[in-house]
Amino acid sequence: MGMPVGMISAIYSFALTTGANRVVRGARIEHVCGDPGLGPEKDYAYGMRIVRAALHALTVPVTGPTLFDPHAGEAEEDAHAS
Amino acid sequence: MRLEVGSFPVRSIAFGSATRWADGRLTVDKAAALAEVRRDGRIVTADLEIAVPGESVRIWPVRDVIEPRVKVEGPGQCYPGICGRDVTTVGQGRTHRLDGMGVVEVSSVNWHDAGGDFVETYLDMAGPFAAMYPYHRLQLLCLVVEPDPTLSDESRNDAVHGAALRLADHVARATVPLTPPGREVFALPPCDEPLPRVVYVWGVHSPQAMSGSLTAFCTATYGLTQLTPPWVLHPNEVLDGALTGPYRTAFAMSWTVANNPLLLDLCRRHGRDWNFLGVIVLRTEWTTQHEKQLAANQTAKTAAMLGAQGAVVTWDAGGNEFIEVVRTIQACERLGIKTVFLTSEDDATDGAPTMLEPLPEADAIVSTSFFKNVTLQVPDPGPVARVIGLPTKVIRRGSSVGLHGGADAALPTAGTLPPPGRYDDHYGFGSLSAIE
Repeated sequence: MGMPVGMISAIYSFALTTGANRVVRGARIEHVCGDPGLGPEKDYAYGMRIVRAALHALTVPVTGPTLFDPHAGEAEEDAHAS
Repeated sequence: MRLEVGSFPVRSIAFGSATRWADGRLTVDKAAALAEVRRDGRIVTADLEIAVPGESVRIWPVRDVIEPRVKVEGPGQCYPGICGRDVTTVGQGRTHRLDGMGVVEVSSVNWHDAGGDFVETYLDMAGPFAAMYPYHRLQLLCLVVEPDPTLSDESRNDAVHGAALRLADHVARATVPLTPPGREVFALPPCDEPLPRVVYVWGVHSPQAMSGSLTAFCTATYGLTQLTPPWVLHPNEVLDGALTGPYRTAFAMSWTVANNPLLLDLCRRHGRDWNFLGVIVLRTEWTTQHEKQLAANQTAKTAAMLGAQGAVVTWDAGGNEFIEVVRTIQACERLGIKTVFLTSEDDATDGAPTMLEPLPEADAIVSTSFFKNVTLQVPDPGPVARVIGLPTKVIRRGSSVGLHGGADAALPTAGTLPPPGRYDDHYGFGSLSAIE
């Protein structure tokens, strides 16, 4: 077994079709892991949510390209960039 | 909407005591033309030079090539909206054009303050590199212009493009009292025959995301460059310049938009081979998956509401913008609208797909070859006898081919230069095609 890889991508369909195994939905092309428009605190929290989702994705066995959504099951309050 | 386009062939350009057109010869009063250019106080230096087909001359940096067009009858102004011009809806009455020439905007001004997209286009008028572009057949009136360097890039873009348009206006106005040697009427009368109903989906880049500005300079619809929902344009509006302005490649210029062979054929064969319903302009470079899908869905819906059974699709950009373009094709096909896609292809090295997202719905594709000059193996254009514009050219990291291994370097413009990184024949001017 090789090393698990999680790819954070704003344009996740492209990451999936090119064969990345664990694709994590990022915010926006300009700022994939956050949203400076939210202000420093919320930007940090939003970024942490994406990074934690990516780290979680590394622990999940997958059989093919799979999308992990940091927003799944959460309030949309911080998700301005989506 | 009925537009009569009067064509005045230009077979030679010379400087003289008055700006006038006669028997294919355009004479330009240099002082009067430059006075038009200098009407904007932001312009610091300006000069005019002429380049002719077959001449050993290199023009650098080329920001745009503009075909002079002027409204003779009917509302509005040609090339509306851009650089603060009148936004009256165009496409009716009579327009005169100078056929076989271009006004070339030669300036060091970069596209926007955020950087990234650099002006890379230079043009030769002789040799194999020149022959790759339609401009080598044109008489070129080059405006070498620099604005106040202390201004923002956005203001400098506005200044130099506005100046180039005023120069184009100045020479086109010489035809206003004259009877055009060539006339063509463009209209889309109702079709009596049950012909296939077709739209043209025309993807154009928006600089909004990369510049962070709603008003950054680029190809514009009535002057607007921001990310907007799809626009429905009558082809006559495009012929009057409602879609105009350059993007970063030699084929994405005002001249190629105004002379797009696909648009002209769609108009000319209306009522005979198909029922051309109009143009849908799709702005590209949305920056989330949702926005890209939404833009695609709404473009396809607009085509369906116009009654389209078929769509021809082009785009003028690269990279992630492919997603909204190819998903528009998918969305059209899912609504029962057959599509044909005109595009260049990406590098297939190491078995990579030549399309960024190869969707099965995009199954009718006309290739205009590879979009990279390096993949096309274009030889470095050799030395030239004369340069119009800047004496040196910076070769940027990642854009150079052959020379200096990709490192930044400043080379003499007159010497051997790598070709610009991108080729992208967006509208099918050339005859190249990628090999299966």
